[in-house]
Amino acid sequence: MATLIEAEAVSGGADITPRPPNRRNVRETLVRYRWLLFLMLPGIIYFLLFRFWPMYGAQIAFRDYIPFLGIEGSQWVGWEHFETFFTNPDFPRLLRNTLILAALSLFIAFPLTIVMALLLNELRLNILKRTVQTLVYVPHFLSWTVVVSLTGLLFAVGNGPLWTLLNDVLGTDTNFLADPAWFRPLIVLQDVWKNTGWGTIIFLAALAGVDQEQYEAAIIDGAGRWQRVWHITLPSIRSTIIVLLILQTGQILNTGFEQIYLMSNALNRTVADVFDTYVYFVGIQQGSYSYATAVGLAKAIVGVILIFGTNWLAKRFNQQGIF
Amino acid sequence: MTPRKRLRAPLAILTVTGLALTAACSSGGDEGDGDGNGGGEGDALSSLSIMSPYFAAVPPEEDDPIDQALTELTGVDISVQWVPNTDYGERTNVVLAGDDIPDVMVMGKTPAFVQTAEAGGFWELTDYLNSGDYPNLVSENPEVQEATSVNGHVYGVYRSRDVIRHCIILRADWLANLGLEQPQTVEELYEVARAFTEDDPDGNGADDTYGFINPAWPGSIGSGSPYDALELWHGAGNVWLDDGGELVPSFTTDAWMEAVEYERDLVQNGYTNPDYATMDPATWNEPFLNGQGGIIIDVQSRAPQLVELFREQDPENAESYVALVGQPEGPHGTFAMPTSGYSNFLAIPRSSVETEEQLEQVLQVLNDMNSTEAQILLNNGIEGDNFTVEGEYAVYNEDRQDFTDQVSGAWAQLGTNVAGYNAYATQPATPYDEELAQLRLDLQAEDLENAVFNPAASLASETYQSSGTQLDTLISDARIQFIAGQIDEAGLQDVIDRWHSQGGDQVIAELNELYSELG
Repeated sequence: MATLIEAEAVSGGADITPRPPNRRNVRETLVRYRWLLFLMLPGIIYFLLFRFWPMYGAQIAFRDYIPFLGIEGSQWVGWEHFETFFTNPDFPRLLRNTLILAALSLFIAFPLTIVMALLLNELRLNILKRTVQTLVYVPHFLSWTVVVSLTGLLFAVGNGPLWTLLNDVLGTDTNFLADPAWFRPLIVLQDVWKNTGWGTIIFLAALAGVDQEQYEAAIIDGAGRWQRVWHITLPSIRSTIIVLLILQTGQILNTGFEQIYLMSNALNRTVADVFDTYVYFVGIQQGSYSYATAVGLAKAIVGVILIFGTNWLAKRFNQQGIF
Repeated sequence: MTPRKRLRAPLAILTVTGLALTAACSSGGDEGDGDGNGGGEGDALSSLSIMSPYFAAVPPEEDDPIDQALTELTGVDISVQWVPNTDYGERTNVVLAGDDIPDVMVMGKTPAFVQTAEAGGFWELTDYLNSGDYPNLVSENPEVQEATSVNGHVYGVYRSRDVIRHCIILRADWLANLGLEQPQTVEELYEVARAFTEDDPDGNGADDTYGFINPAWPGSIGSGSPYDALELWHGAGNVWLDDGGELVPSFTTDAWMEAVEYERDLVQNGYTNPDYATMDPATWNEPFLNGQGGIIIDVQSRAPQLVELFREQDPENAESYVALVGQPEGPHGTFAMPTSGYSNFLAIPRSSVETEEQLEQVLQVLNDMNSTEAQILLNNGIEGDNFTVEGEYAVYNEDRQDFTDQVSGAWAQLGTNVAGYNAYATQPATPYDEELAQLRLDLQAEDLENAVFNPAASLASETYQSSGTQLDTLISDARIQFIAGQIDEAGLQDVIDRWHSQGGDQVIAELNELYSELG
C-alpha cells in the first residue's frame, strides 16, 4: 500500500516538475501494475507466438509458395491469387452458399439461444432449471464427427428412425442426407441442437444480473409475464445481445468446416460448397497453399470489416458497441 | 531487487524468444545442412535417416531388433522417423519447409511433390536405376516405374503393389439359389443384379434385397471406384484414352456415356442400394453380410475379409457365401482395371544427401534393403523369434503378436519390392483359404493381360497441378447426379462443357504436348 501512495505522490509531482508526461506515465503504470503485467505475461506470449507470429506467414498469399523453397525463397506474385479467386466461376456460388448458411445461423440459431435463455430463466424450480441447463450443454461437448454420425444413423435410408418418420409424414421416399433441398435444414438443425444450450450461458449470466425489484414493482403494477419479459428482461440484456451479435457477424464467413465437410456429398455439393471447404480442397488436397491462404485472408478481411460495420451501426442506434 | 529490475527478466525472456523465432525462421529459407550424416559436407554417410508412415498402434523403437538387423545388413546406422499415416501428408510439408530433412522420405506424387521435385528438391534417379548398378532396384514392371515418374523423370524407388486388385464379389449362395452362372460379361452382371433384386435370391418371400452395393466414394474420377471400373470395362479407357495417338479424357467418350447410362439404370431400377450416395465406405461389408445386397465391385482382398466375417456369423457354411469373379468382358472388348501398381515411393532430398557419392551410397543401402534377406526382415520379422517357416509359408508366434504387428504395420512400409516380392506369405488357415488365395493369383494373371493403364499417369500438366482436384470433382459429382436422375444427359453435357472451359482444354493441350514429346 505504501508503494502505491508513494507512487501517487510522485505522479502528482509531475505537475510541478515539467517532464515528458507520456513517458513518465508509462513507466509509472508499468511499475505500479508490475504484478498484474507479470500475470498477463503468459497471455501476451501466447498471443505473440500463436496469433501474431503466424501472420508473418500470411505473406505466402502474395507468393507462389513451395515449402521446399521456404517463404522468402518463393516467387512474389502480388495480387495474382486474389484475382484468380474473385474471377473464379465458382466464386458466386461459394459466396451465396456461405451467406445463406450464415444468415440462417444468424436469424434462426442466434435468436433461439436468447429464447432458450429466457425460457430457462422463467423456470421457478431451481433444481429443474439446473438439470435442464446441464442437459442442454451436453451436445456442445460432442465433436462434429459424432454429431454427423448420429445424423447419419437417424436418417439412414431404410432403417433410420427419423428417415422412416419424416417419409411417412410427408409421404415421400427421400434420402434426406443426399437431397440438396434438405442440406440447409439439416445443417441448421444440427447447429441448433449442438450449440444452443451452450450459447445460453452468457445470456443466463446477464439475466442473473437483472434487478429483481423491477419485477416486483412490475407485478404490483399488474404486468403479466409477457409484459415483464418484453419491458424488463429484454431491455436489461440488450447490451449483451448487441455485443454477441457484433461478434457473431465477424464470424459470418466462418461456416464451420468440419460440419459442412462431413455433411457434403456428390449430390448436395452444389449447395454445400462454402469458402471453408473450398480452402480445404484447394489448399490441402491440391497443395495450392498460396491460393488457399489468399482466400482465407480475403475472408478474414471481410470478417474484420463486418465487425467494424456492425459496431458502427450499433453506436449509430445509441447502443453500446464493443469498442 | 527494485521493481524495475523485476520487470526486466520477463521482458528479457520476451526479447530472447522473439530473437530466437526470427533466427529459426530466417534459417528456414536457407539450404538445409542435412542431418545425422555423421560428418561434414560431402563425407560418406555413416547413418541414414528415413521418414516413413506407420499404421501400427505403436511405432517401433529406435534400435529394435529389425533396426539392428538392417543396420548390420547394410553397414549403415539406419534410423527411422515414424509418422502416423493419418498425419503423414501434412508432416512431409512441414519437414520439407524446415531444415532438418531426412535422407530418404516416403513421398506420394502430390502436386506439392511435383513442384518440389521440379524445383530441384529431390534427386532424379532415372539413370541410376537404369544403370543396373543396383540389381534389386531394377523394376520388374517398367510400366509401373514409368507411371511413378514426373514427365519421364523418376524421382523415387516406388513401393510395389499388386497391379490387378479389382474383381467382382458376389453372394455365391444367391447365385446357387437362383441357378445362375457367375457373370462373365457386363450384360450378365446386369442380369444378376436384376435377379438379385427381383427374383427373391434369399427365398424368404419378401422383396428385401438388391444387387449392387456402392458406398459414397471418397475420391473423384479415376480413384478405383466401382463406377470407374464399370466405365473402364465398357471401353472408356483409364482416366485418359489414347485415341489414335491423341489423349482424350475418358468421360468424353461414347463408351463412358454408355457406362453411366448402365449405372443409372442400375440405380433407377432399384438394383443398387438406395443410399449409394451417402453410405459410409467403412460399412461396405454390412449389407453383404446381412443379406441385403449381393454384388460388390472392389479389391480382391475384400473377399477373404468377408469369408472371415461369415465365419464368425455362421461357421459351418462360411465357405458357401462368397464368390470371387474376375473382371468381366465389356460390350466393346475385354478390358481390366489395374491399380497404379505402386503406393508412394522412397525419394531422396537433395538438401540432406548433397553429393553424388552420398547418393550412390544411399541407393546402395536401398538396394540392400530390397534383398530377400531384408525383405523377410521388413515383412515377416525375425525368423525363430516372431515367426517360423513351414514349407513356403510363415507361421507367426502368437506370443510375439505385438512385435509382428509392428513389423507388418510399420517396417513393411519401407519395403519397395520393385524387383519382386521374395518374403514369405502368411500360411492360410484352411484349405479353402489356400484355394481362395490361389484363385486370386490366377485371376490377377488373367486380368493382367487385358489391363488398361492410364496413358497419362506419368505426365504432369501445370494446369492439372493447380486445379485438377476441382476439375475431377466436377465430373465425379455430375456422374452421381446423373445416376441419381438429378440431371439428364444435357445437364451432364453442360458440366463436361464447364470442365472444358474451366481449364480442362488447357489440361488436354498440355498433356498432349507432353505425350507427343515423350511418347
